[in-house]
Amino acid sequence: MAGITKYIIRRLLFMIPVFLGVSILTFAIVNSAGDPIALIRQGLRQASPEVLAALRAYYHIDQPLYIRYLYWLWDILHLNLGVSISGTPVIDRMGPWVLTTLELQIPALILAALIGIPLGVYSAIHQYSKRDITVTSFALFGYSMPTFWLGLMMIIIFSLYLGWLPSAGAVGITHLWWGSELGDRLAHLIMPLLVLTYVELATFVRLMRGNMLQTLRDDYVLAARSSGLSERTVVYKHALRNAITPIVTILGLSFGSALSGAPGLETTFSWPGLGYQFVQATFALDIPMIIGITVVITIMLMVANLITDLVYGMVDPRIRLS
Amino acid sequence: MENKDSAVIPNVDQERIEKRREASQGAVAWRRFRRNKAGLAGLFIVLFFAFIALTSPWLAPYPARSFQSLYEGEAGQAPSLKHPFGTSKTGLDVYSEVLHGSLGDLYVGVGATAIAVLIGIAVGSVAGYSRGGLGDVLLMLSQIFYTIPLLPLILLAARVFLILVAQGFGLTLIMILLGIFGWSTIAFIVRGEILKVRELEYIQASRALGASKSRIILRHVIPNILTPVIVTATLLIAGNILTEVVISFLGFGDVNTSTWGLTIQEGYAYIRTEWWTTVFPGLATLFAVLGFNLVGDGLSDAMNPRLRD
Repeated sequence: MAGITKYIIRRLLFMIPVFLGVSILTFAIVNSAGDPIALIRQGLRQASPEVLAALRAYYHIDQPLYIRYLYWLWDILHLNLGVSISGTPVIDRMGPWVLTTLELQIPALILAALIGIPLGVYSAIHQYSKRDITVTSFALFGYSMPTFWLGLMMIIIFSLYLGWLPSAGAVGITHLWWGSELGDRLAHLIMPLLVLTYVELATFVRLMRGNMLQTLRDDYVLAARSSGLSERTVVYKHALRNAITPIVTILGLSFGSALSGAPGLETTFSWPGLGYQFVQATFALDIPMIIGITVVITIMLMVANLITDLVYGMVDPRIRLS
Repeated sequence: MENKDSAVIPNVDQERIEKRREASQGAVAWRRFRRNKAGLAGLFIVLFFAFIALTSPWLAPYPARSFQSLYEGEAGQAPSLKHPFGTSKTGLDVYSEVLHGSLGDLYVGVGATAIAVLIGIAVGSVAGYSRGGLGDVLLMLSQIFYTIPLLPLILLAARVFLILVAQGFGLTLIMILLGIFGWSTIAFIVRGEILKVRELEYIQASRALGASKSRIILRHVIPNILTPVIVTATLLIAGNILTEVVISFLGFGDVNTSTWGLTIQEGYAYIRTEWWTTVFPGLATLFAVLGFNLVGDGLSDAMNPRLRD
């Protein structure tokens, strides 16, 4: 028990330098171009004097750079993310955006894991057979494709030519699809969800197949086989357990990268989640909004990593002892 | 043992066996790679795109970023003999843009990977060799770069720097950004390999024989870390091309240089009437990335001693 408490504390402590690293990088990029207020005015030439004055106060423009950073860090730690150039406090917008992103990401990740892991195992057991080659090629196309482009192709086919599904947004604006509120949400969700599931599934298949192939060559599997256990028991009871543990890490990582990797897909489908809003804010050079979203993404990433580490520590005793 | 070998297989070509025994690691890997059809297909695709990229100024019927079709009254046309991939509403010949784009995207993909490999080897080997302070700091730095949300930071940096600093160097800027942010995996691999290799008996043996530190690093350590680095770098090229295409598609790239993502972005606005402007550059991306992935997977199989027959 003491081992695992120590392990949790170590992982929690690791979050501090990561958060500081991201905050310094973001602050450096924004300030590397000189006065951030001048940068904001590039994006919004007719900003009202009140908004500019508020920004000036928030960033403590009259102070030297490192003092500015400390003030800013202090504000962030108190969840004061400043006011967007449109005049609304940044923090108020985050909740709905995070939920919209999660509404797409979580089902995709669950579906991808549920389909991808068994497919990978199946592929490894039947290595070099026709079925293995079919599965491997299916996966290979998945991780060789720009996610957003696959989305575009689906929009062209299913929205523009067949007219079956809506091409943009999370809810219908002019009319409800499929008759009801729930149907409408589903109709909007289905294409981005399919695209994301396919691309993430490809990663799972690839890794699961690779892990399984390596494990099946391990000595202890040979020992299990030669002790007369059935192939079924060897594969599913002995090999699978060890082959599946690294997948936990991948689950966490792909959740993290999906959060920051979603801008392309979310923009294609005008899905109003964090990624889409980040692109909009960056175009408008809405600096407080950009930083706010980066901070929120980083926190979500770190939480995802922490959960991954903890689960991994529970599954694999070697980790928490080392 | 020698006699027993020839007794069991009397008809083997002794010379071939000798050759096999003397073959270098590289020759062994190549022999195994050659038998991997998927890997060979990937290599062919990669060479094909490299050829197109290098000859695109002569191959392409129109110069890069030329809106000439607009003045010829042929903008927004479906694929035809004159314009095999059609023309965009803005007057780009999509076929020419795809050819020119392969130069831009391979430049970013390969260049960014080269930067990442250099930083990764430097950080990873120092982190692996120095026990204590510096090594820990570098390991922590690698972990930070591994955890941070890369794409948002790259997009932000591209947007800020393109406005104020790097007008005209857009593509190089994207390349440098991708390289600077993408080295952590390489660093981990190099560090791990060095930690593993430096404790091996043969390194201790050569140390005991009085080999100098630089000889050990050059003759024994580098060849051992090179294999996994090459495999990862090949896959990293694929990843960097994909990221570049996303960056350009989102409008954060260089608007003066042809890239596949930029062409897709121009087609996106007119997606209702013209499918060809988004389809063809996307297919080019798919095949180029597929090629690098196949080569990477093939190399990884060929160089993996555990899968050796």
